[in-house]
Amino acid sequence: MFSRILVANRGEIALRVIRACRELGIETVAVYSDVDSRAVYLRYADETVCIGPGSSGKSYLDVPRIISAAEIADVEAIHPGYGFLSENPHFAEICGSCKIKFIGPSPEAMQLLGNKSRARELARKVGVPVTPGSDGMISTEQELLAVAHKIGYPVMIKAAAGGGGRGMRVAHNDISLVNGFHAARTEAEAAFKDGSVYLEKYLEKPRHIEFQILADMHGNIVHLGERECSLQRRYQKLVEETPSPYLSKAQRKEMGEASKKIARAANYTNAGTVEFLVDKHGKYFFTEVNARIQVEHPVTETVTGIDIVKEQIRIAAGEKLGYGQRDVEFNGASIECRINAEDPDSNFKPSPGRIQMYMPPGGPGVRFDSHIYSGYDIPPNYDSLLGKLIVRGRDRNEAILVMRRALDEIVIEGVKTTIPLHKKIFSHSNFISGDIDTGFIESYLLST
Amino acid sequence: MNFKDLRRLLALMSENDLDEIEVEEGGRRVRLRKKGARAAAEAQEAPPPFSPSPSAASAPPRKGVSREDANTITSPMVGTFYRSSSPDAEPFIEVGSLVGSETVVCIIEAMKVMNEIKAEVEGRIAEILVSNGEAVEYGQPLFVVERTGG
Repeated sequence: MFSRILVANRGEIALRVIRACRELGIETVAVYSDVDSRAVYLRYADETVCIGPGSSGKSYLDVPRIISAAEIADVEAIHPGYGFLSENPHFAEICGSCKIKFIGPSPEAMQLLGNKSRARELARKVGVPVTPGSDGMISTEQELLAVAHKIGYPVMIKAAAGGGGRGMRVAHNDISLVNGFHAARTEAEAAFKDGSVYLEKYLEKPRHIEFQILADMHGNIVHLGERECSLQRRYQKLVEETPSPYLSKAQRKEMGEASKKIARAANYTNAGTVEFLVDKHGKYFFTEVNARIQVEHPVTETVTGIDIVKEQIRIAAGEKLGYGQRDVEFNGASIECRINAEDPDSNFKPSPGRIQMYMPPGGPGVRFDSHIYSGYDIPPNYDSLLGKLIVRGRDRNEAILVMRRALDEIVIEGVKTTIPLHKKIFSHSNFISGDIDTGFIESYLLST
Repeated sequence: MNFKDLRRLLALMSENDLDEIEVEEGGRRVRLRKKGARAAAEAQEAPPPFSPSPSAASAPPRKGVSREDANTITSPMVGTFYRSSSPDAEPFIEVGSLVGSETVVCIIEAMKVMNEIKAEVEGRIAEILVSNGEAVEYGQPLFVVERTGG
């Protein structure tokens, strides 16, 4: 087992990783940019290293600074969290050459799955259904139109190097398709340094259902069940839950096996999430693999009792999972709300500033993963996630009641938050009946 | 106040031949007192409001140079600090050296790359705050430069 790990991230996920390490008896080294110098988790780390100014490019995304900090602090491994360098194969490679273990999949697996078009090909090869679309990248307008006509409008133009909801455009006809194609390539080049795009059939208001997998370095893979993440705004998730109110036992089994098949084919190790879209007829289609731990991992932890971050560390240290699919049990239901510092009444404009008063929710079945405290100044340089409110109930209905109570208890004053929006969601009849899809937020927001 | 800061205080004590040093910063107070060959450290934490401040950039008292006449050269990167370009070479500067903005004052090594760090201020080196081979972080004070001329 490692004796010292560097946490190459910030905010709530840095706190999450430090907590897991403390319980495992592993020393932690926290890096921070100078605007994060008052982060609460710095006091829980064994050592802290200031790595740069506020700009992410000169701090959390700067590979030489992170590696340099790892070297001077003499760590054995780096946990990249999510976002930042967590899906950067180049970074994972450099860690390897510096004899520092990267807590995640291999650079090769990351590279393969990071190209969303190649990931689709891989899924197709192992017989997992994928959304109808192009065979690989599109390079000419001719090809573009041919594929679009074959699969039928509407279609989605997607950046191969994108993912996480970024770099996607819908087109409903030839003109918007061609314009969108050129625009998407330019944007992808700028954002991901890779302008390649591919096409997929655009499913109308599908459900987003993803499977958590864990794979050790000895060939053992399990899935830890699904999460339904259909409540999204501009492809960013707002609410996640498990089990999905929609999937049948048979579908769960089939999709779980499909997820493991893809992971196996990619030689995947450590924690990962296989994402699917499910259409109105119950047909599922593979979309992408997220080769990292995800924001919404706590709902899976809540129903399985498995600490995913600890498993990541154990796996990276070379340990065997020690359990098989039959040993994974699911108890109860869990739902998570992402609480962001955004103003839902002002088009979700970010709301940085000082948290004047913060009171956490509590009681049975309530978990709040957050780095905030009263008096904390939210830096404007990073994402707006304040914390994740996770609840547990014996079933979905009870979980909803617990969430309503927790949303009433939690106090965050001084900045605008998405708490009021969540309160509306959890009293909406469609949500309560489980009648949700990825169009829910937009249609609901538009109607009030 | 962390272990690194305590080490720095101890170094300061021995460099300046002090018997006792007390530092207060952001609600936390540390007193180090020499007793014969040993130093005793007591850490007292003031009650909330909680304000963690990991880098003690301004705390310790200095001999000689008043703050208004001094500039501090801080590290622009994370790495290992070296006084000279190689183990056999002379240090770039010593206490008392005159520096201009382009004067190379030290090397900071990061990922096997030796980065020459320039003073970027003018004046005379009054203090060297880190030792050869020490790990430094972004923003860490390296040298105190007192302004010369009037």
